[in-house]
Amino acid sequence: MVAPRANWKGFIKFGEVSCPVALYTAASSSERIAFNTLNRQTGNRVRREFVDSETGDPVERDDQVKGYEIENGQYIILEPEEVAAAVPDSDKTLKIDAFVPCNEIDGVYFDKPYYLAPDKMGTDAFVLLRDGMKKAKVAAIARTVLFRRMRTVLVRPRGKGLIATTLNFDYEVRSSEEAFEELPDLKIEGEMLELAEHIIGTKKGSFDASAFDDRYEAAVAELVKAKIEGRALPKKKAPPASKPSDLLQALRESAGIGGKKAEPKRTAANANKGASRQKTSKPAAGAKSKSAAAPTRHAG
Amino acid sequence: MAVRPYWKGYLKLSLVTCPVQMMPATSESEKVRFHTLNRETQNRVVSHYVDSVTGKEVRDEDEVKGYQRGENEYVMLEDDELENVALDSTKTIDISTFTPRDSVEWIWLDTPYYLSPNDPVGQEAFSVIRDAMEAQDMVGISRLVISRRERAVMLEPRGKGIVLWTLRYGDEVREEDTYFAGIDDDETADSEMMPLVQQLIKKQTQHWNPKLVIDPVQDRLLDMIADKKKALKKTSKAKAKAPASAPGPNNVINIMEALKKSVAAETRAGK
Repeated sequence: MVAPRANWKGFIKFGEVSCPVALYTAASSSERIAFNTLNRQTGNRVRREFVDSETGDPVERDDQVKGYEIENGQYIILEPEEVAAAVPDSDKTLKIDAFVPCNEIDGVYFDKPYYLAPDKMGTDAFVLLRDGMKKAKVAAIARTVLFRRMRTVLVRPRGKGLIATTLNFDYEVRSSEEAFEELPDLKIEGEMLELAEHIIGTKKGSFDASAFDDRYEAAVAELVKAKIEGRALPKKKAPPASKPSDLLQALRESAGIGGKKAEPKRTAANANKGASRQKTSKPAAGAKSKSAAAPTRHAG
Repeated sequence: MAVRPYWKGYLKLSLVTCPVQMMPATSESEKVRFHTLNRETQNRVVSHYVDSVTGKEVRDEDEVKGYQRGENEYVMLEDDELENVALDSTKTIDISTFTPRDSVEWIWLDTPYYLSPNDPVGQEAFSVIRDAMEAQDMVGISRLVISRRERAVMLEPRGKGIVLWTLRYGDEVREEDTYFAGIDDDETADSEMMPLVQQLIKKQTQHWNPKLVIDPVQDRLLDMIADKKKALKKTSKAKAKAPASAPGPNNVINIMEALKKSVAAETRAGK
């Protein structure tokens, strides 16, 4: 088998110990279905052109420079060399600045994963770092210049080797607290929670990436076929949202209480309004027994 | 601040459904943003589309998606036609499977989004799904069409909301064995050195915080811009850079020595 090509070679350094390592792309991105942009009037393909916003003249690649807007319409020009000069020279070293407990790491910062493997002879220091982190249940934070950009990288053990994941910078990540801050504090307890937990129990499984297929392209091809044949695909209708008053009933039916999955025929009248939101209900033996007692089911 | 939702649709668990919205967890908005200028005129450069045959400019409203059927044969597809593609996963995240939170390995995580209820009416249904996953320490697995691909997605409760991750396709993650083939299966760390490494790790361990991912280069760019602004006419010289030197690899014999030095240094630094 041909040895894979490294994307980067250098050193990993913890304390005074360093060892030669190489990075390899661990995940690639597959292509999505490509559409071409057409001119509706002529049916011809379109192409992109770069023009001066004032004169309308095309601007050649070499004449395009980066400008930072300081005031309305006034720009500071930065030449590519200048931007490059802001990036420190690469010392080819992933220097570990800190270790962080694995369970504290916020995955939202993850960018791209790379396999990190020892380069050349002598894996002792590599194995030492790997097993040391494994034992302490930590990951390492290292920083280096990768592919001409300064990157922070998270290094953690994986099997026999290590995985280095580039991290997004602080200003590139929205805080989840801010994103969710306007949501009300609503804690679900009692029967509703137990029913939902029961439903989760009935749908237990595992994620198997190899069993997953992208059906989108085939669906678009089907859509195109229908269009050519002059058939219109049925419009999608929005599913009815579960109103708070219907929620308990929907949960009971979902939990398969009292028989087979029936049509979700629910009326506000039979919905045992709100009972589940209080701590009053205490279905000890789980949803099943509770369900048998539930008088709210309509045959449909 | 309100951010325009990236996607709107429904979250569904069996017969429970609620309207939800989603936005990316990452954002470009705080990044130093450059515009492209014409060096000759200093005017902004804009891009527009021209007809590949007539060369004439194409107005935005005349741009339409084309599905290629043959070499020069296209079928036009309007956005609202595409909406009708026969997949429920364009509009509904129907949670089919639940799995323990730590059973989906990090390497499968691709892009994170924040998922929240889109209408007060769905607040309670959303909370039921979230809290039940939390109580069971489970994540939900479903399908969702995002940017013209149907993705496996993982739903993870987080605070008052849910983080939705797109998961990589099976063939996107490369087989690790190929890359780790050079490492002996049963090579383990030297037992004498282990306590020292543990000591070093312990001394350097800190809590996760976003300060670990600050970007010195962006700060430097902003400094450069500020300098240039001060002296608009002068050209500021790029700072001289110190030559970089790579450390030599440690050979087997002196790892122990280096570890001892490291721990000693950390001990001094820590006091």
